[in-house]
Amino acid sequence: MTDTLIRPATVAAASAPRTRTERRPSLRIGSHVFLILLLIAFLAPVAWAIISSFKQPNDIIRDPLGFDPTTFTLDNFTAMFQDVPIAQGFLNTGIVLVVKGGITLFFAPLAAFAFAKYSFIGKNLIFGTVLITLMLPTIVLIIPLLLEMKALGWVNTYQALILPGAIDAFAIFWMRQVISAVPDELLDAARVDGCSEFGIFWRVIVPVIRPGLAGLAVLTIMNIYNDFVWPVIVASSERMSTLQVVLSTLAQNITGNRIGADYATVTGELLAASSIALIPLLVLFIVLQRHFINGILAGSVKG
Amino acid sequence: MAKFRRRSAPYLFVLPFLVIFVAFSVYPLIFTARLSFTNWRGSGAAEWVGWGNYTYLLTSEAFWSSLGNSAVLWLLIVPIQIVLAVIVAVLLNSAKLKLRGLYRVAFIVPFVTPLVAVAQIWVVLFDQQYGAINAFLGVFGIPDIGWLTTSAWAKPTLALLFLWKTTGFIIIILLSGLQSIDGSMYEAAELDGASKLRQLWSITVPLLRRTIMFAVVLQTLAVFQMFAEPFVVTQGGPYNSTTTAGYYLYNHITRGDLGTGAANSFLLVILVMVLSLFFVRMLRAKD
Repeated sequence: MTDTLIRPATVAAASAPRTRTERRPSLRIGSHVFLILLLIAFLAPVAWAIISSFKQPNDIIRDPLGFDPTTFTLDNFTAMFQDVPIAQGFLNTGIVLVVKGGITLFFAPLAAFAFAKYSFIGKNLIFGTVLITLMLPTIVLIIPLLLEMKALGWVNTYQALILPGAIDAFAIFWMRQVISAVPDELLDAARVDGCSEFGIFWRVIVPVIRPGLAGLAVLTIMNIYNDFVWPVIVASSERMSTLQVVLSTLAQNITGNRIGADYATVTGELLAASSIALIPLLVLFIVLQRHFINGILAGSVKG
Repeated sequence: MAKFRRRSAPYLFVLPFLVIFVAFSVYPLIFTARLSFTNWRGSGAAEWVGWGNYTYLLTSEAFWSSLGNSAVLWLLIVPIQIVLAVIVAVLLNSAKLKLRGLYRVAFIVPFVTPLVAVAQIWVVLFDQQYGAINAFLGVFGIPDIGWLTTSAWAKPTLALLFLWKTTGFIIIILLSGLQSIDGSMYEAAELDGASKLRQLWSITVPLLRRTIMFAVVLQTLAVFQMFAEPFVVTQGGPYNSTTTAGYYLYNHITRGDLGTGAANSFLLVILVMVLSLFFVRMLRAKD
């Protein structure tokens, strides 16, 4: 349909674009070559780490580029599980993920609902403060938060890992935008039907904003799973270490203790640990690509 | 009754958030502001030192060198990243490109991987003696480079990690900006016989300026706060060459020098805000 409409113009200008159409194949091949090279650069470090984690420790350092499938081994993984509390790390990260993620995903939309659809005393003051804290770098809070945790006796506890940063200002900001787009008529209709105010949130808002919630969920999971600075400062004891903190202790072993065979062993363990840590998010990402990209895009407004 | 419930509902809805927000964001912020004017070391009595911490930092060589390190990293990262991301985003935005879905997913992979894990992989990859990078370069006869052990190479190696980790994120941001550009402008330019490069420079870049500046501001914030990368990969060394502004701040905490640390974090906030304003101004001036 549009084709027939455009045709007269294309015919008239046919002589000019002709040269361009001829040039295009080389341009297209060129861009593919460029993208493929970049793709290799982007995936190689991860692929290299995962493949190397199945090599004999000595081979990793003797021949870092080669891989002989006949020498395939799980030794690095068994040694790593013995030497560092990685299982404990996974457990701690899992606990924090479930509780902190759950709190954020329930209470952030609930508060955002109030900011978007009600008027109440202090609303503008609170929301203005939320916007200000959004602009501040998180490191500003680390020292006083650490002191607060010490005063509360929360150093090396789950509370310290979970509560600060739960229901973060960004989640409020984003969910308020999402909920503002829900038409008021929907809420009024629910009220006429005798729905309670919380019932409106639970039965009207939550189903409508599901895509936004999914984006918030993946972003929250990614942030909690990857969080490192706060956990390493407030909960670095062996029992409370999250996965990322456990990982970082391995790297310090390497830089602190770099002698011969020992280096090979530690490197093998480190690659095994890193590979294991990569996998959950990669799988989640591949399954939930679209939500991930939405979440990351929305998350980018957080400065 | 229904009216009362409707009036009181928002307070109940906001309450859980407000408790956490005040306890773990607002209160610490006010506390930091006060702390930055004392010499408190985490215990005992705090002594009021006025602007002492601020003047100490502003006249300390280590503070300025930490900012200098971050500035060098910024120069090594941001210009390259923006140019690369614009090119990739434009290529990926073309409807004719095959496999664009695959590329988009693959480019974002580094961004979703845990930083600590990849930072460690970096340590192993760039090891002078045993690393894969030197082994690879050796194939071309290039002698071993002390990527993480010489002050000349440590910054570029960290910059490379940062570029690798975050460029996919910038590509996604630019792609979303590109998708809001009206396609008919390109058709018109095409009819006028404008080359692809010409179109990129005269249509895409000006229309994308807002998005580009947004990306620059985001990355400026990130580079000046960079902490986990030097913490895992170099511990700020060699010879403090990778002691970034963020890492220097952390040093105050480990030494228990909390007053100075608080002052340092405020100076960093001010710096980052001034830089952001500067970029926003640049954006406005051209509008």
